Amino acid sequence: MADLVFVTGLSHAPGLTGWLDQAPQHEQDSLTEGFNRLGELLRATKPDVIIGLANDHVLNMPMDDIHDFCVGTAAHWKGPSAWFKDWVNVEPYAVDGDAAVAQAVFDGLTRRGFDTTSKSELHFDDNWSVPLLYLTPDYDIPLVPIHMNCVVPPVPSPETCLNVGKAIAEIVRNDLPDGMRVAFMGTGGLSHDPGGPKYFDVDEEFDRWFLELMEEGDAGRVLRECTVEKMVAAGDGGTTELLAWIAAMGAVDGRRAHTVCYEPSVALRCGMGCVFWDMEKETADA
Amino acid sequence: MPVANTKRDLAANRMIFEVRRDPAKYESFAETYESVMEEYGLSAEERQAFRDLDLIRLGELGVHPYFLPQVTRLFHGGGYNHNKSKAAQIYGRSVVEGQGKTR
Repeated sequence: MADLVFVTGLSHAPGLTGWLDQAPQHEQDSLTEGFNRLGELLRATKPDVIIGLANDHVLNMPMDDIHDFCVGTAAHWKGPSAWFKDWVNVEPYAVDGDAAVAQAVFDGLTRRGFDTTSKSELHFDDNWSVPLLYLTPDYDIPLVPIHMNCVVPPVPSPETCLNVGKAIAEIVRNDLPDGMRVAFMGTGGLSHDPGGPKYFDVDEEFDRWFLELMEEGDAGRVLRECTVEKMVAAGDGGTTELLAWIAAMGAVDGRRAHTVCYEPSVALRCGMGCVFWDMEKETADA
Repeated sequence: MPVANTKRDLAANRMIFEVRRDPAKYESFAETYESVMEEYGLSAEERQAFRDLDLIRLGELGVHPYFLPQVTRLFHGGGYNHNKSKAAQIYGRSVVEGQGKTR
């Protein structure tokens, strides 16, 4: 029985590493401080492996072979994918994977009926390159990446994603080695509209409402109110990446999220922020 | 041209998907895109929309919206892609201001 020791939801938009100097000073300070703090919190829980869930951005699953989820099974990963290097402005990095953990995740999701495939080669863009720079700047914690389709309809429903999070927590507890410490991160969001008319807009009202939902910890309310349609209305091109945060919420057994930082950053063309769930000190009733 | 308008089997979508993964293609795309469009069998309408760098038209034809800013980066580079960068400005003129054609 392994332990889920840390769960987080965080933005991955490339402006955070690619053109942060174009943001107002207070946004630069708030986001740099917040994302660095999130990294400190994660590393303090000493995870042996991080399982991640993020938008594939139609980079690895071609449109004629899209699945809801794609587990990366390689023992070693490299990023950023070459064409995205200048864009994310992250130096080339290597990070270990964990083939055994990946296989357990793939088997567990498949057994539960989720539409899941696997790949041993994946191009990484901002989905991992931006979070890893803040969370594990030494790239010394293995990553099991799960790419998801959240932008080519039909996308998995919020209920499916919440259940995927629950399943991952079960897989950690039931199928991974005794004593292994596991972190889970869902990356993407908050509101943004790459490819739409609201490219230069952020829906701050939606974002703050969504963060309150995470802090409230009521999964039933999330499923009732945070529909795909509601996310699409807040930014058609990318806001559904928050399905990865809903999966994270599914993994935490009713705990409430803590918001670390949030900025409605027009300069970064994205509502930027991060939350975490304290899995060790708090119980579901806290 | 919402995400829901995406045509999964559109030749332009397959071209953009693969070009970004292949340095031999993306490094020279701005100069060689006519031959790349030929290789992937784009329709006459798709080809004209690329020549016009008309992102609204590409969206109407079924190109995935997420690819549209990437098209501007294929032609104008993706580095330092802030709101006043050439790539973002062209996106803004075409889609946000609604001009469509940008050349």
